[in-house]
Amino acid sequence: MHHSIPMHIGRRTVLSGASATALAVAASGCSLQIRSRPDPTIGSDTLLSGGDAGTPTFTANFNPYQPNARSSVGLLYEPLLLQNPLDGELTPWLAESWEQSDPAELVMTLRSGALWSDGHDLTVQDVTFTFDMLKEHPANDTKGAWSRIDSIETDGQDILFHLSGDDSPAVGSIGPTLIVPQHIWSGVEDPTTWRNEDPVGSGPFTLGNFTPLQYTLDRNEDYWQADTILIQHIVLPAATSEIDLVTKGYDWAYSYMSDVDNTWGAANDHNRHWFPPGGIIGLHPNHDVAPFDDVDVRRGLSLALDGDAVGKAAAEGYMEQASQTGLLLPNQEDLLDPSIPDQGIVTQDTDAAIAAFEKAGFSHDGSTMRTPDGDPFSFAITTANGYTDWLRAVQEVQRQLGEIGIEATIRAPQAAAYEAALSSGDYAIAMGSSNGSDTFQGYANLLSSEYYVPVGESSQNNRIRFRDDDVDDLLQRYRASVDEQEQTEIIHGLEQVFMDQIPIVALYYGGLWGLYNDGRFTGWPTADNPFTSPQTYGSSPLMVLTHLRPVEKEPAT
Amino acid sequence: MRYALRKVGLFALTLWAAVTLNFLLPRMMPGSPADAAIARLSQNGPVTDETRAAVEAQLGVPDGNILQQYLAYLDQVIHLDFGISYAFYPEPVSGLVATALPYTIVLVGTVTVIAFILGTLLGVLAAWRRGTWLDALPTVGGSFMNTFPYFWTSLLLLFFLGYVAHLFPTFGAYSATAVPGISWDFFVDILYHAALPAVTLLITSLGGWIIGMRNAMINTLGEDYVTFAEANGIGGRTVALRYAARNAILPNLTGFGLALGGVVGGSILVEQVFGYPGIGFLLFNAVIGQDYPLMQALFLMITVSVLVANLLVDILYGVLDPRTRR
Repeated sequence: MHHSIPMHIGRRTVLSGASATALAVAASGCSLQIRSRPDPTIGSDTLLSGGDAGTPTFTANFNPYQPNARSSVGLLYEPLLLQNPLDGELTPWLAESWEQSDPAELVMTLRSGALWSDGHDLTVQDVTFTFDMLKEHPANDTKGAWSRIDSIETDGQDILFHLSGDDSPAVGSIGPTLIVPQHIWSGVEDPTTWRNEDPVGSGPFTLGNFTPLQYTLDRNEDYWQADTILIQHIVLPAATSEIDLVTKGYDWAYSYMSDVDNTWGAANDHNRHWFPPGGIIGLHPNHDVAPFDDVDVRRGLSLALDGDAVGKAAAEGYMEQASQTGLLLPNQEDLLDPSIPDQGIVTQDTDAAIAAFEKAGFSHDGSTMRTPDGDPFSFAITTANGYTDWLRAVQEVQRQLGEIGIEATIRAPQAAAYEAALSSGDYAIAMGSSNGSDTFQGYANLLSSEYYVPVGESSQNNRIRFRDDDVDDLLQRYRASVDEQEQTEIIHGLEQVFMDQIPIVALYYGGLWGLYNDGRFTGWPTADNPFTSPQTYGSSPLMVLTHLRPVEKEPAT
Repeated sequence: MRYALRKVGLFALTLWAAVTLNFLLPRMMPGSPADAAIARLSQNGPVTDETRAAVEAQLGVPDGNILQQYLAYLDQVIHLDFGISYAFYPEPVSGLVATALPYTIVLVGTVTVIAFILGTLLGVLAAWRRGTWLDALPTVGGSFMNTFPYFWTSLLLLFFLGYVAHLFPTFGAYSATAVPGISWDFFVDILYHAALPAVTLLITSLGGWIIGMRNAMINTLGEDYVTFAEANGIGGRTVALRYAARNAILPNLTGFGLALGGVVGGSILVEQVFGYPGIGFLLFNAVIGQDYPLMQALFLMITVSVLVANLLVDILYGVLDPRTRR
């Protein structure tokens, strides 16, 4: 089960970087132009997708609740509400509508007429069965629906979720739950380990041929909105290294690619890319570790850094400096407080930075920043070994801080140890990713004191150990509000908190690395038509596949 | 006989030490498997407490104190039950290993045997005809090829012969459309896919065998008994093979034993580059995924294979060189 927002260039990319290097060296040394060479057996109604990567081969795992499930489960199973990874907006899907007039109660109305791919009707019983199964098997409840739900009732096609308290944002955790058929899953002994090799779903595609090296999805003729699906087959090979993506005529892929115009872009005249922001990469101070508990120190760090330069160092200039408001811009510009100058983009100002540090009792003698005790100011930035983009970012941060006499060192344990260090608070300041499509949840996960645990204890949320009564109050007011206007005002308040208290130092946006080819199919999400993110996993494929259509061939003259 | 018994006893002791180390080492790595799984998930977005709880529930946390875990581990090792893989959850480790092992044994095993036989023979020839082109070509060529890092060689071959010339497949152990089974077509398909990785391994490992054999051989050729044999008019080929080579092969044979034991470890980088679904690829994924059960099974398998190969080489030594029996 994938989360919605890729934060940084993944490990897979780091590895396949080796072959990309060979490509780049060979291409530059011998003036070889690599062109894509599509497989002629792929028909005009068939989409070649690089959306699922073998390790190196596929295992047939279509259990949508497992982290190792094939990424195409998002086209086989459907949620009640489809969440847009760009801005968190919910689109009615299996539920034809939803309503929350009481912040402690959520009502969804199930669409009638939806069928499972074996012909059975999709009913309210399937929905309640799914949620009961998640309650009984918390290992499958990856979105934490039951941390919000108290009980579920049904009335005709209506499903009433009684929430554990006032919780208007709960819909973001409940709506995206993928619904499975009761008549199949009720007979499964342990739905947490079941592979579901022969999936029966409600989605627009069904599983065709499966081999460990490639599988196909076929159009579901009985899909409830079959008229929107104009693609007959999807082929997903296991070989999706960067060089495969470039040379084998893929229609859709998801991968960070160095020098994208001269690699992916040059391989085919119709190859395009769109890299919208999906999260905020920044410095995460540990608010329980001095001097990072001091807002002036955090402001000093923020003003001392040029997020744009850091972003350029990290991701070749594909991603822009992130807004200190905590919003993904332009995705979420509707929520931006217009009174915040420059959309919350902090401009580097070393004099102001030094002034902020001096306000915190630091002293600066022109070359060295000294702590109130008179020692040179020095700290370690924790990042994960192998995340090369983050490492490049930290090196740039290190260089910029060096210019105002602050010595930052780099501590790069391997990824698992990095996660453990951040969860248990064993760090002073760390590279981290935060926020994302669900605006409110992004703030709450980072700032809510209900997630606070002291250093030494583990928590996955609020790893920065932030506590503020006013912020808790804002979060609680949001949960109790079902008025959109009021909710927007509260979000504006949270943006102000981000600007004033600098809980994290926002640097640059983490990208969503969409690669697509509009030679055979058109209707892709783009910067001009950003109806969803270009990612090949999670909730995007359902939205993308219901928009794609074959390119009309010019009639021969 | 006492010689062999002593070797077997030593083997048992080493085996126990290896099995125990294999238990301890993964537990000394920082971060838990759940942390590793979270690290993987967090590449797609922030992970919440709920997701962590779900992941921990799926992977399970080892229970009991370290001694109980050790006893449970020994019991599992005896029954070859290595549990469920974390990185490939919910696949059982034994199934993953059983699927990957044949590919690696066929690819790396065959290449190792070929490289050893070919390299040793070329080494004998080079030493026997030293100073001629039969010496210069394999020696210089061998050391030249030996200096190539094999992942670089494999990338070059993959790029030019696979992606540019389209002569060889670029991924996997067989075609996506092939039907695995016992058939001539499938066999040919497997060979076709193994060709590039095999060539990579061969050209980068051949040099070591040639040079090792040549140098040892030149030393033996200087021995008095070789001169004596030649003076007695024994034919050149007999002197080279029966007198010099038999004595010179001992160091190479040790190396061969170790290499053969290492075969089951696969060749991580070559398998990675060619997307070859063998043990090396599995091991790589196990390490980056903190997949303790899979790592333990693989390390144990590699250690035991190397130990067994060593034992066999030791015993073979006894046969080839009577002096070691004392």
